[in-house]
Amino acid sequence: MFNNKLKKYLFAAGLINCLLLPTANAANWLMLQGTEPDSSAPRAKLWGFIQAQYQKDYSDANSTGGYIPPKLIGPNLTTQDSFNVNRARIGVRGTGFPLDGKVNYFFLSEFGNNGITAPGDRNVRITDASITLNQIKGARIRLGLFKTPGFEEGLQAIHVFDYINFTTVANQLMLERFPNRLYTNNIAPISLPSPTPIGGFGRSVSAFRDVGIQVFNTFKVNAWEHSYAAMLGNGNGLNFGDNDNNKETYLYWSSEQVYSGKGGRRQGLKFFAWTQNGKRQLANADTVTPAVTATVNDTGGNPVTVVVTPEVRAINDPTQYDRKRSGVGFKYLKKPWRVSAEYLKGEGMIFVGPDKPTFRINPAAPAGVGSGANGEASGWYVEGGWYIPGTKWEIDLRYDVYNRLTNDTPFPGGPNVGKTFEMEFKTFTVGAQYHINKKTRINMEYADRSAEAVDFPTGAGPNDNLSSLGDRFAIQLTHIF
Amino acid sequence: MKRLYMFFAIFIYALSIQQVAAAPEDKPFAEQKIVLQISDPNPFKQTLVLNVASNIIKHYGQDKVDVEIVAFGPGLRLLFKDNSNKDRITSLDGSGVRFAACKNTIAGMSKKLGHAPELHGSATPVTAGVVRIIDLIDKGYKLVKP
Repeated sequence: MFNNKLKKYLFAAGLINCLLLPTANAANWLMLQGTEPDSSAPRAKLWGFIQAQYQKDYSDANSTGGYIPPKLIGPNLTTQDSFNVNRARIGVRGTGFPLDGKVNYFFLSEFGNNGITAPGDRNVRITDASITLNQIKGARIRLGLFKTPGFEEGLQAIHVFDYINFTTVANQLMLERFPNRLYTNNIAPISLPSPTPIGGFGRSVSAFRDVGIQVFNTFKVNAWEHSYAAMLGNGNGLNFGDNDNNKETYLYWSSEQVYSGKGGRRQGLKFFAWTQNGKRQLANADTVTPAVTATVNDTGGNPVTVVVTPEVRAINDPTQYDRKRSGVGFKYLKKPWRVSAEYLKGEGMIFVGPDKPTFRINPAAPAGVGSGANGEASGWYVEGGWYIPGTKWEIDLRYDVYNRLTNDTPFPGGPNVGKTFEMEFKTFTVGAQYHINKKTRINMEYADRSAEAVDFPTGAGPNDNLSSLGDRFAIQLTHIF
Repeated sequence: MKRLYMFFAIFIYALSIQQVAAAPEDKPFAEQKIVLQISDPNPFKQTLVLNVASNIIKHYGQDKVDVEIVAFGPGLRLLFKDNSNKDRITSLDGSGVRFAACKNTIAGMSKKLGHAPELHGSATPVTAGVVRIIDLIDKGYKLVKP
């Protein structure tokens, strides 16, 4: 209901603005990432950034000595204490034919170690490859792979993000993991040290991006800047092609009172709303073809067993599930103060962990309890910052909440009868930033984290893992070039 | 006498043509005369040449300095109608800065584009950007190429 109303409002408001208002060239995330300045863009501007970090997790093991992903440092999930080059991106953008600045392009690739490159052990991955056509007044057109119009935390440029780690609602509800094409065994909580990562996904996370076509623009009315975007995409993240017959729709609106400045740290008061709708395909069952083995003699004449044909598990009965996301929020930035908040809601394809990444979010496993396929979730955050006047320091505070599987099916019987796998995650983050110069800064943050399965006592059931979730410290150096 | 009138009329006509062909230098009390060259494809140079012009005006005062920016080659993009610096150009025009656009470059770009580029209203076409600079130097202007 919320989605439909929001969609209608966004469409009507966008249409009215397209027809009535003059266009503006001031920057915002849609414009900053999708367009170049008129007649003053280079043919090719080389740019990028590097983020190197250290993180330490203070969580304890569960009652059997096992650790789950939130207690381990990603993306490798094999330790609680790690240095990492989590982002190393290089790209080029501009206008290929400078005499006609109405055609722009944007290309960016990722060489760092994160959820984009770690699944499948990739060394590099293209994250953005798009062309923007600016010929139509009021309706710029962007085609290709790029960030989808949506929630602020994901849409903003990551190299000016005020924190190191995402909020839980961003990480779990918005950062989409794509189920594996082939059956993957469950990986139980691991003991440390472990040579085996617990992450079982074989494909990159969505990185809040999609391949498709977007119509967008920004209009200026006195001190206010109104922006709209409507996008149709594959709903398949960084993967260039589509994997089903369904397309993802995205709608976005923002209105911002601009105070001063430009670029990623422009000062103003922005209100925004967005929605996205699509479908995803999951398997409902898997078929196991046992391995075929044979006994042969080795070179020394000793009998050994060899696998002639490995076990094959096929996923069957593909079923389409809705995936809906929506949110509203605001951001205020007028130095020395910054405040922002956002509420996000999701229906369908709720990520519940890397356990059996092919079918765990299947309503049939187990008996519908704990399934994310038809699950619902919501979350919110409020955060603020203070630039200490006369210094290069900035202090940040953030509180975020995520309620997962709020509509979960209760256990029909057994010792847990009536209970669900609804979970609540709360995180309070204290951070600081030191701006060495305009392009280089150090982020530090300490996150006080808690999580619980609300129907289970402390330490029981899922809380055996969640009750021992501890705090996390992170420090990161960012340099933009 | 008739010949004298004819000569005088031709002289006045020739003078008026020269004034149309070259944008007027209308700052008789200017103590400094400066011509700024923009011929570089680097967009950063666009901002830089405008900054320099702005700083010169601020330093000497609007009536005490005569500034003309001559754009040719890839630098002509500065004077395109939709250039992102168009508001600054209008503002500098209001401060007395003149903008000259090379006709040779316009002709070359027209061939590539298939139509003539639309220029900012403050731009005055001149026969050749480099010739315009030489003429201004001959008239005592100092050339600055940021």
